[in-house]
Amino acid sequence: MIEDAMIDDDETLLLLGAYLDGELSAGEVLAMERRLAAEPGLRAAAERLRGLSDGLRETLARPPVPGTLRGRAIRQVGFADPPPGRGAWPKSWSGPWNASGTSAPWSGGPWPALAATLLLGVAGGATLGSGALRVDRPEAAGEAVLAGHLRGLAAPQPFDIASSDRHVVKPWFNGRTTVAPEAPDLADQGFPLVGGRIDIVAGAPVPTLVYRRDRHVISVTAVPAADGPGAGEERRDGSTIERWRLGDLTYWAVSDLNQHDLRAFVDLFRSRTGRPG
Amino acid sequence: MTTLARARFSQLVLPRLDEGYRLAHWLTGDATDAEDVMQEACLRAYRAIEGFAEGNARAWFLTIVRNTGYSWLQRHRPRAVVFAEDLAPEAQAALEAGGLLAEAPATPEAALIARDEAGRLARAVDALPVAFREALVLREYHGLSYREIAAVTGVPIGTVMSRLGRARQHLLARLAKDGR
Repeated sequence: MIEDAMIDDDETLLLLGAYLDGELSAGEVLAMERRLAAEPGLRAAAERLRGLSDGLRETLARPPVPGTLRGRAIRQVGFADPPPGRGAWPKSWSGPWNASGTSAPWSGGPWPALAATLLLGVAGGATLGSGALRVDRPEAAGEAVLAGHLRGLAAPQPFDIASSDRHVVKPWFNGRTTVAPEAPDLADQGFPLVGGRIDIVAGAPVPTLVYRRDRHVISVTAVPAADGPGAGEERRDGSTIERWRLGDLTYWAVSDLNQHDLRAFVDLFRSRTGRPG
Repeated sequence: MTTLARARFSQLVLPRLDEGYRLAHWLTGDATDAEDVMQEACLRAYRAIEGFAEGNARAWFLTIVRNTGYSWLQRHRPRAVVFAEDLAPEAQAALEAGGLLAEAPATPEAALIARDEAGRLARAVDALPVAFREALVLREYHGLSYREIAAVTGVPIGTVMSRLGRARQHLLARLAKDGR
C-alpha cells in the first residue's frame, strides 16, 4: 500500500514512525527500506526521528522518583505482616536491611524482611550453601527464580554488585555460592551486563546475573540441574521465563521483555556459552 | 483475602512503582501531584488485584495509573484534558512552518538534542496536549507496543500511531525553532 504514488507526507511520516518503532509488517518494512534507500530526504527524516527518540528516552527517565513512594504505597495497603512464604525462603532470616547506600525509607516493621529480600543478608553472611544441592522440582525452582527477579525489581537496584565487567561479577560470587555461572559479555548485541546478585532457590544461595535491554531487566539465574524437563518457556505474573541446560546447571532467564526479545537474548547467551562437544 | 492480595501487590505493583510514577509525573507535570496520583493508583490497584488474571501486569498497572491521572486532572485541572486531537493553534502553526520533511536544520538533530541541557525537550514534552504526551511517554519511556498503548489509553491502534506521529513532528519542529 505504500507504493501508492499518491501518498501525502502525513502518511509517509506515520509509516516512517511505525517503521522505526518496529510496528510494520514484513512487507511494509521491505517497502519502507526500499524507499529509504532511494530517498535521501526520507533518510534524513528517519535520522531526526532516531535522534529525537534517543533524547526522549533520556529526558523522560529524568524526573527523580521520590524515596517516600514505596513506603507510602506499602503503608497504604496496610502491610503489617509478611505474606506466608511459599517455602522458597526460610522465614527466620530477617537480617537487618543494610543495602549499600540505599536511601529508601522503609516503613519499619517486618515488611523489609519480606520485600527487600533476605538475599542481601545471606550474601553478606554466606555461611550456607556448602554441599551439593539438587533442585528436585523445576516448578518450585521457577517460582523461586521469579520471586528473586521480582524482589530484585522491588529493591532500589536489582543487583547486589554493580559492574558491567564479567571479570568482576564472576569472582564476586566466590564464597557466596558454590555455583559458578557462565557470564558472557553481550553488550555488543544490546544486552549489557549490569551486575550480579544472590538469589535463594531450594533454600540455597545461587548466582544471578543481571543484564539490561533498554529499560528492561533480565535476570539469569543458574541452578544445579535436576533431572527433568530441559529447555522451556512460560509466562507468569507478566514476566517471561526461559530455561535451558548447560553442563550440570539449569539457567533461568526472567524478564518483562517480550517473548521474542527474551528468546533472542537466550539464543545469544547460549551461542556464547556453548562448549565444544 | 488480604494476605493473598498483599502478596500479589508486592509481586505485581511494587516492582512497577517507579515507572508508574514517571507516567504520573509526565501526565500531571508535577512531582507532588504525581505522588498524589500514585497514592490513589496504588489503592485502586490493591482493590482490583484479585480480579487481575494472568496477563500483562505492566500494562494493567499503567492503565490504572493513567486512568487515575486522568481523573485527577479532570478534578484539579479540567482545562488540561482537552479534546484529544486538538493541538493548540500555535502548535498547529509550528507544524505547518517546520514539519518533519521541511529542510533539515544546520545541526544534526541528535547533536541539537544532546545540547538540551536546559531541558528544552522536557519543556516541549510538557507543552504537548495530554493525549499526545501519554502516547509518547508510553512508547519512548515505557517501551510499550502500539497495541499495548491502545489498550492502556483505550483508543484504536491507528489513533496511537497518528498521535505518536504528530507528537514527534511537533517536538522536532519546536526544537528546530528553538535551536535557531
